[in-house]
Parts: sequence; C-alpha cells; structure tokens
Amino acid sequence: MAVYVKDLIRISHNWVDTHTCDVTTRGWILRLLINITASVVYPPLDDSCPSTTMASLSEEVLLVLKKVRQRKQDGTLYLMAERIAWGPEGKDRFTVSHLYSDIRCQKISPDGKAKIQLQLVLHTGESSTFHFSNDSSALTDREAAKDLLQQLLPKFKKKANKELEEKNRMLQEDPVLFQLYKDLVVSQVISAEEFWANRMSTTNTENTLSDKKQDVGISAAFLADIRPQTDGCNGLRYNLTPDIIESIFRTYPAVQQKYGENVPHNLTEKEFWTRFFQSHYFHRDRISTGALDIFSECAKQDEKGNVTHLELYRYIRSGVLNVLTAEGLPKEKKIGGKPASTSNPNRTGKENSNSAIIKRFNHHSAMILAAGSRRGDAPNDQASETSSTDGNSRDSDLFQPPIKKVWWSIDYLDLQREDGPKTVALNLKKSDRYAHGPVPLESQKYTTSQDIINSITCIRHEMANYVPNLAQVLTSSAVSSAIAALSPGGVLMQTGTQQAINQMVPSEVQGELKHLYIAAGELLRHFWTCFPVNSPFLEEKVVKMRSNLERFQMTKLRPFQEKVQRQYLSANITGHLEEMLQTAYNKLHAWQTRRMMRKI
Amino acid sequence: MASEDELNLLVIVMDVNPIWWGQQAQRDMSESTECLDAVMVMGNSHMAMTTTNRLAVISSHFQDSHFLYPCKNWTGGDGAWDGTMDEAPYCGDGKYELLSVANNVVAEEMKRVMSTTEMKGNSTDTLLAGSLAKALCCILLQKIVTFFSAGQEMKSRILVIKTAEDCARQYMNFMNVIFAAQKQNILIDACVLDSDSGLLQQACDITGGLYLKIPQKIALAQYLLWVFLPDLEQRPQLVLPPPVHVDYRAACFCHRNLIEIGYVCSVCLSIFCNFSPICTTCETAFKIQLPQMMKSKKKKLKQSI
Repeated sequence: MAVYVKDLIRISHNWVDTHTCDVTTRGWILRLLINITASVVYPPLDDSCPSTTMASLSEEVLLVLKKVRQRKQDGTLYLMAERIAWGPEGKDRFTVSHLYSDIRCQKISPDGKAKIQLQLVLHTGESSTFHFSNDSSALTDREAAKDLLQQLLPKFKKKANKELEEKNRMLQEDPVLFQLYKDLVVSQVISAEEFWANRMSTTNTENTLSDKKQDVGISAAFLADIRPQTDGCNGLRYNLTPDIIESIFRTYPAVQQKYGENVPHNLTEKEFWTRFFQSHYFHRDRISTGALDIFSECAKQDEKGNVTHLELYRYIRSGVLNVLTAEGLPKEKKIGGKPASTSNPNRTGKENSNSAIIKRFNHHSAMILAAGSRRGDAPNDQASETSSTDGNSRDSDLFQPPIKKVWWSIDYLDLQREDGPKTVALNLKKSDRYAHGPVPLESQKYTTSQDIINSITCIRHEMANYVPNLAQVLTSSAVSSAIAALSPGGVLMQTGTQQAINQMVPSEVQGELKHLYIAAGELLRHFWTCFPVNSPFLEEKVVKMRSNLERFQMTKLRPFQEKVQRQYLSANITGHLEEMLQTAYNKLHAWQTRRMMRKI
Repeated sequence: MASEDELNLLVIVMDVNPIWWGQQAQRDMSESTECLDAVMVMGNSHMAMTTTNRLAVISSHFQDSHFLYPCKNWTGGDGAWDGTMDEAPYCGDGKYELLSVANNVVAEEMKRVMSTTEMKGNSTDTLLAGSLAKALCCILLQKIVTFFSAGQEMKSRILVIKTAEDCARQYMNFMNVIFAAQKQNILIDACVLDSDSGLLQQACDITGGLYLKIPQKIALAQYLLWVFLPDLEQRPQLVLPPPVHVDYRAACFCHRNLIEIGYVCSVCLSIFCNFSPICTTCETAFKIQLPQMMKSKKKKLKQSI
C-alpha cells in the first residue's frame, strides 16, 4: 500500500509539473493528493528522524516549489502548515525539515545578485540555505516562499517564545520560586515539565485578559489636520488619507450615507470630496445656499439633533423636563434674565453667527464622542428611526412610556433603602462571664468561718507585739540554700538552657534548612495531591513522586544532616522533615498493599 | 549605669491578707513578722543604693489598700519623701535617718491595719487589682511632680509580694492595670510565696518583669535582694532566673477549665469546651450541616515575649 501511494505521488508530481505552471494550482492539487493519502493511517512525522518519507505526511501542504537547490542538490521545497521541508529530486524523502517555531528568522539575498537565495536561521544558530534555480520563475518562487513564511512565522514564534518568556518572568519575579527551581530541577530531583505543570495553568488565564486591546478613538482635530495647501493659482489642495476619510465617516454618518448614495454612481470619489469641501456644510458659517448642495440635507439632519420645539413639548409631556434650565420654551420668561432662545429675532447678526459657531463646535465634539460610543452599535444604527444621525443616545429613551420615564428620572441610587448584609443583633444574657478570669471557679482551699476568725485573731495578736528586728532577718544556712537555688544549675534556674537552640544554630544553616523545607514541601504537595488515586496517570505519578522523594532524601537531606552533625550540634533539626517523608512512604506502601489485596 | 539624676521609684505591694497570714502563724509562730522584716530590708536596701531612689509601700488587704509608707497619718510632718523632718525619733543605732523613719512608719501602720481588721462581708480575697491601681496612680503623680518641679525623668517599678490565691472576680481590672502599666513602661515583678498565680505570671510577661515562686519563706530577704533589687538596666548583665513559661490558655465559659481547643461563638465570642447548638451567652442558634463541620478555633500557646 505504501509503495503504491509513493509512486502515485511521484507520478502526480511529474504530471503537475508538466501540466500546470501556476504555483497555487500546483499546490492545490498536491494538497488534494496528500489529503487522500492522509486518509490512510501513517505514523506521525517525527522531527528527530532526519529524513521523513513524503508519504507519511499528514499535514496540509501550502506551497510547493520545484527546482530549489540545497547544498548543491536539486530538489523541491514544500511549505506546510507547521513546517518547511525540502526533499531532493527524484527521492521521496525530506532531508531537511524545520518546524516554523524553530525558525528564528529568514533572510533573502539582495536583489541585484545572480543567485536567488532564501536562508532560514534557527533558534539554535544553524541555518539552511535554499537556492531557487528555476530559470523562469526563480524570483517569483522566492518571493512566494518569503511572503508565506512572513505570514506563518510570526504565528508560531509567538507561541514558543511566549511560554519561555512567561517562565523566565515568573522565575525572576519570585526568588522563592527560583530557589525552588534550582533545588529541584537543576539538581534533577524532578523534571522541568513536572515543575511547570502546576504553575502554568494559573498564568494562562492572566494572559488572555491582557490580550484585549483598546480601540483607537478619533482625534478631535482630524478635520483641522487636513490642512489645505494653496495650489499656487487661487485654489486649495486638500490631502485626504484613508484615516481621515474613516474619521469623517465615523463622526458624521450622514456624510457616509451620502457617500454611499452618490459614489460611484453619480460622482467619483474626487468629485465627492471636492463638493464636500466646497459645500457650506463644511464651512464655518452654515448659511444654507440652496437645494443643489447635496450636503444641505446633512445640515438639516444635524439640526435635528438639536432640541427643537417639537421635542421640547415631548419632554414636557413626559414630565422629565427640568423647567428651570429649559431653553426655547415659547412662554418662557426667565426671572431677571434675558431669554436665551435662539429664535429671538432681536438678536444681531453677529450674535447669531457666534452662536452658530458655538453650536457647530459643540455639535462637532458631541459627534466625535458619540462616534466613540457608537462603535458597538453600528449595525443597529441603520435600523433605528431617528437616532442614526445625531448620535444622541437620549433619543431612545424618548420612546418609552411616560410613566416609566418619570420613574427612571427620579430613581436615584442614594435614595434607595440600603440592603446591607444581614446582621445578627448582639443580645448578651450572661455578660459577667467575660469578666471571669482563667481561674477555676471553685477554689481548692475551703476555709470555714471559724478558721477565718481564728486566723484573724492569731495574726492580730502577733502583730500587736511586733517590733522590727532587721538585724536578724536571715540565718546563714537559709541564705546559702537560697543562693544555691538561685545560682546556675540551681532549682530555680532550670528552664534556662532549653531555649537556646535557635541561637546555637547559625543563620546559614537555618537558611539552608528553610530551603530544604520549601523544596520538600513542593515535592510532598505533588505527592499528596495524587491521592485519592483515580486514574492510571495518578498511579504512575504517585510512584514517580516516591522515587523523587527518595532521591531528594539522598541527595539533599542526608548530606545536610551529616554536615550539621559533624560541625555543630547533636540536635536533630531535620527530624521533622524525615518524619514527613516517612509518612508519605507509609501512605504509599499502605495504598500499594491495599491494591494488591483487592486484585487478589 | 543609671545616671545620677534619674529617679527610681520602687513600689512594694504587699499582700497582708490576715487569713492567710493567720493560718501561717498558727503553723509557725514567727514567720509572718519575719516576712515583714524582710520586706523592710528590701526597702531599706533600695533606698540605700542611691539618694535618688524612692520607696512606697502599699498593703493589700481584703478590706482596702493602704499606703504604709509614705503615710499621711504620721505625725512627723510632710517631709516623708525627701527625708527632712522636724522631729526624728531617735533610733539608737546610727542608721540613716530616712531608713529608720521608713521602718518605723511601716511598722506602725502595719499594726494599725491589722488591729482594725474586721470580717464584715463575705469576701476574703485580697484586693490586689485595687492596690496595683493605687500604685500606678502614685507613680503617675510622682512622675508629674518630679517632671514639673525638677525636670527629671522618673523610672518606676512595682514589686508584688503575693501570698493568698488569685481572685477570679478581679480579672478584668487586673488585666486593665497590667496593660496600663505596660503602656507607661512600668515593670511589675512578682514574688510569690505560696501558690502560683497565673495573673501575676501574665503581668510579668507582659510588662517585662520577673516572676519568682519561692520555695521557702525564711530566706525571703535573700531572694528579694538577689533577684528584685537590681533595676531594669542592670538585669541583663546578671544571671537571673529565666522567665517562666506562661499559660495563656483561655478558660471555657461553662466550667472555667483551661482549654487549648474549643468552640467560639461567632456572635459574642464566648468560649466553650463542648459544642452546644445554642450559645448560652447570647442565645444564638447555630445552623450546622454536619456534626463534624463545627466552628472550632485552635488556641495557640502564646510565646513569651
């Protein structure tokens, strides 16, 4: 079967060469053939094996280039989904095969040179050079290969490097982790994969969060940035980049609408923009010129965004209007102030034009802000009725029923009842219990009242005859016994020697012991998390961990113990560690015996 | 070395519970008066160390706490603190007059206290917390007076000589006094004659003083001089009895047993040794799912400071 397929591929290669010259078609046909062969089970590609049979491909072939020489040998270059490979002419094996993630960069020979080459530099420093020797299409072949590699390499590069970078970063940030790594992996107590197995899962979630990028907003000065240049003969030249065009469309959807209607049916793009800049829509003072201007409708639509009388009445009816600050009410008469209505005919022309500019300015800023917030709603905008042109988000609220609007407007968060966490009231019944000290309730000694009276009488009698006799307050025997008790080693001095262990052990030894504890803790954690043993993977892991623990004990713990004993003291400071390890061994032994009993 | 200008005030709080002393006297006639002698020797030695050392003695009785020295009742005038007086009773042995005055005053007052002892109420417990509070007040007053009159700092410590047992009812006050002393950097030393006192152990541990339980009373003076005469700066240079391991265990509210692991009500923080579904102090009902998953708190033995 394998032989037949190999022949098939060779034949098809030859056929493809003779019958097609388009690289993509070739690639497509080959891909088809490879997929057919992949339906038969083949062993997966093994990178460690230097030559791989073409027939054992199970990957998608993206590009095939013939007449590519490598090391002065003619052959074919294959670019596949995850690797790039080259096989010599006539043979059906790949002699050179590199994963994209291994490739650090690609280099091409300069354009003027006779030889058209492509070099791949790997992370390890090795490089492979491919010489495109097809007389007619060498340059295009190389360009095709280069472009494809340019697209593919970044994808794989990121994956490989990201992990390494992540690991390095973690090791650098946490010195304890670094020490642990040194203790366990560098000294080969456990392998690096086991070490990272637990830790990488926590970091992957963090990475996904940081991938979300922020959208770029619109510059408020984008129209001013256009900066017309004088043409020399009384004309103006505007340079429009696609960015500016995009900003204009985002901010003024009306213009986008007009663009969509007129270009390319009625006007060319150039004409459209010329008209745009000529129109008074664009200019400062928007005095309407006539119906010929296609942009006059845009002006009318923009005007709609400002609150008109109609909308004012709508507001009033809905009960949401704040009467004190309302503008343009027909019956308004502000107390002590001039009415601010723009429809007042008494205003001068200058005031009118000033207010028009200001209105334009505010409108422009509002449109820019609205464009930023409208981003997510763009597809819905076309469907909504009037709100597509003015970006006024309050429009949508106006269509709610009035009563709901009233509730909405008077609903403030502060006025709501506080729903704090439910607490229990403290209700102490027997609070004198707290005042009682840590002294037993019933005193051991019980004195009868007769005793008390006797004692008092006795002492009173004695004190009545008291004369201080200070010269004979001590006898020498009493004193010497007291001094003996107070001297080091005496009765009262016994507890002093037991507390000095942490002063007897020097700090480096203490530090080493700490590292040992951290390393042992890590290994024991791996060990104990295997229980209960549910899967064969855990069974293997448990046994492996036991061998790891033993290795740790041999290589780290015993030498440390011996060192301490030799140099400093006979105190057993590693006793607890040994105990923990022994518990782990016992547990494993018990588990193994139970398993064997079950099998029997 | 303490500077020349520094004032050191030693307040001796002596437990003169007549019941305990009377019981001791019934067994052995001479011991009680000898203990008082030993305390006087201690006081004299303290005053003899430097001229700037001062002394106060308080008697702690079940009726009240009384300043034995310096005392208002003494007819010798106001000069009790600095030794000047109008008429010094002649002692006859050439002693430093301050010391003899002190001794006489203490003896007189002691006799008076004992002669006026009456068994009125039921309580036979020494009012130790009150005496300590009085001592603290005295120290504070002296501190202020010396600071404003002479501009000097004053260091002070309290020596408690305890005979009878702890009184459980004074616990709160006692702890307050201890913490106040700690705040004011006042040492509390304790010399215990009869039975170990947990409260005094805590007091010494918290304030940094020494606790000593004496095996025999006849050499009391020697113990006092050896252990309690040096003040705070000199103690690190001497080999003194090591600090005692203090039992900081709490007592359960139901039996007053000292427990290490117990159950704590999360509402009123009262401690119990056994689980009960309703807290008896605040009457909260505990909702539990399983008998094993009860709130339990591990009490760790506090390390000595």
